[in-house]
Amino acid sequence: MLIPEPLQLVIDELSKLPSIGKKTAQRLALHLLKSDKEMVKSLAKGLIDLKEKIQFCEVCFNISVANICEICTSQKRDRSKICVVEEASDIIAIERTNEFDGLYHVLGGVLSPLSGKGVEDLNIKELLKRFESNEVEEIILALNPDTEGETTSLYMAKLIKPLGLKVSRIARGLPIGGDLEFADDATIGRAVISRIDI
Amino acid sequence: MILKSIELKNFRLHKDSVLTFSENLNFIVGGNGQGKTTILEAIYYMCTTKSLNQSPDIESVNFEEKFFEIKGQFEDLTKNRININFNSDVGKKAVLLDEKQIFRAADIIGKFPVVTLIQSDHEITQGSPGERRKFVDSIISQASETYLKIFIDYNKTLRQRSSLLNQIRETKNPSLYSQLDAWTSTLIKTGSEIIRHRIKFKNEFNEYVKNAYQKIMNTIETPDISYQTFTEIEDKNIEEEFAKELNKKKELELIRAKNLVGPHRDDFIFNVNNRELRRYGSQGQHKTFQIALRFAQFFYMKDTMGRVPIFLMDDIFGELDTYRAKKISEYLKEVGQSFITMTDFTNYSDLVKLENDKLIEVENGTVTYV
Ligand SMILES: [Zn+2]
Repeated sequence: MLIPEPLQLVIDELSKLPSIGKKTAQRLALHLLKSDKEMVKSLAKGLIDLKEKIQFCEVCFNISVANICEICTSQKRDRSKICVVEEASDIIAIERTNEFDGLYHVLGGVLSPLSGKGVEDLNIKELLKRFESNEVEEIILALNPDTEGETTSLYMAKLIKPLGLKVSRIARGLPIGGDLEFADDATIGRAVISRIDI
Repeated sequence: MILKSIELKNFRLHKDSVLTFSENLNFIVGGNGQGKTTILEAIYYMCTTKSLNQSPDIESVNFEEKFFEIKGQFEDLTKNRININFNSDVGKKAVLLDEKQIFRAADIIGKFPVVTLIQSDHEITQGSPGERRKFVDSIISQASETYLKIFIDYNKTLRQRSSLLNQIRETKNPSLYSQLDAWTSTLIKTGSEIIRHRIKFKNEFNEYVKNAYQKIMNTIETPDISYQTFTEIEDKNIEEEFAKELNKKKELELIRAKNLVGPHRDDFIFNVNNRELRRYGSQGQHKTFQIALRFAQFFYMKDTMGRVPIFLMDDIFGELDTYRAKKISEYLKEVGQSFITMTDFTNYSDLVKLENDKLIEVENGTVTYV
């Protein structure tokens, strides 16, 4: 059966999205076709607004409505601390905890020679530029605890420490509120290896 | 842990076989190509979700059919049912543990520990260092989830670092050198953890090998495993030595764009009476060493994991002299549940048997109890 062009276009576009395969894309497209026209219009408008109204903060690369994001412009935030994360979605996760009142910087990935990601592909130069104001005293590296994240943290620490800034890395290990006995062995093992002095 | 029974549907030659097992020795007898080793394969599938000879799932489907299914019942402190089915039209395998689908093989590995003694084991003592690393790594990974995680990280670091070395060689971009330093640090960190685990394992495992070897041979021969990494190191200064060695090979690594230092190049040297087995060992010493390694693995895993593995032995009695065959069957009494295939009844009458051992005959995919 030949699929009409407008339908095929939507299927093709949807299947470009992460974790959506050909079959799911087809199901979603057919679902949209059967859906209420107003709902589809609202979705389409939302998608366009998303691209037109939301941008990346010029300072920290967080998602933002204005040129500079709300966190960067807030007077309530502690401007001496910058937490470095991989993606903007990590900011949302840390903000949910209400434990951090400093600023952020989104690197836009981690070092990975295999996927062709090097220093120039990350927002590192832009971070170094933020130090020029002399407000920044501490950098907290909050990258994912995988091989690439660890290596990027090592790279960043070596780069920043000579500038006289305090550099720390978020602790990893056991989930809070969970009992030791219920954590998986690899997590406990890692926590034991990276134990800290008290 | 005891495997009570299995059901095979369209699994290679077995169109529809139901087997119940003894909790001691299960002798599975049949000619070549009759489907006796298939039973070991099915058991191995259930314990690891993978095929014994690393062949793709589709090759295990009966040639006239479109799917296979393996069902099994384990009994430990609790009962577990496991079901593995593969559909060649979909090309997908589903693994269910107590009717709940398992999506990651890691969730099942170590739950049903298994030790195999198969024909290709000769490569452990006779083959390349990679075969010995594979043997050691698979044991430590099953006993320690931490090791498995570090091992995966280390291999990823190797791939990332060699890709970067390649980029440096191609582009000569000086900014890449500072990234190389970072990857080198990660390599040293994870690699040193691997080495530390391997040293500890080697020290513990040696006792098990000695014990097993002497049980099988009853001689004054003493086996020993030594660990060979990039330098003679003691537990303490691994990171330092690693960095030193990398520094020495710095230029060469850039020329060849390869990781030239690290535990991915380690070897384990097997000795009998302080003489290297690979160079000076007789055929018989090789065979005994291979068998001793698997028995040692069995008892090591039993002690460290607190679970009794299942022992699978493929066709080993045929090529052994009566003395060793008898010794091994005696030793198997200490093991617990084992599955032993044999092509014929050579040696069978000399083996030490218990009353509730089972003898199963397999002919053209059909099972009969003797
Ligand atoms: Zn911002």
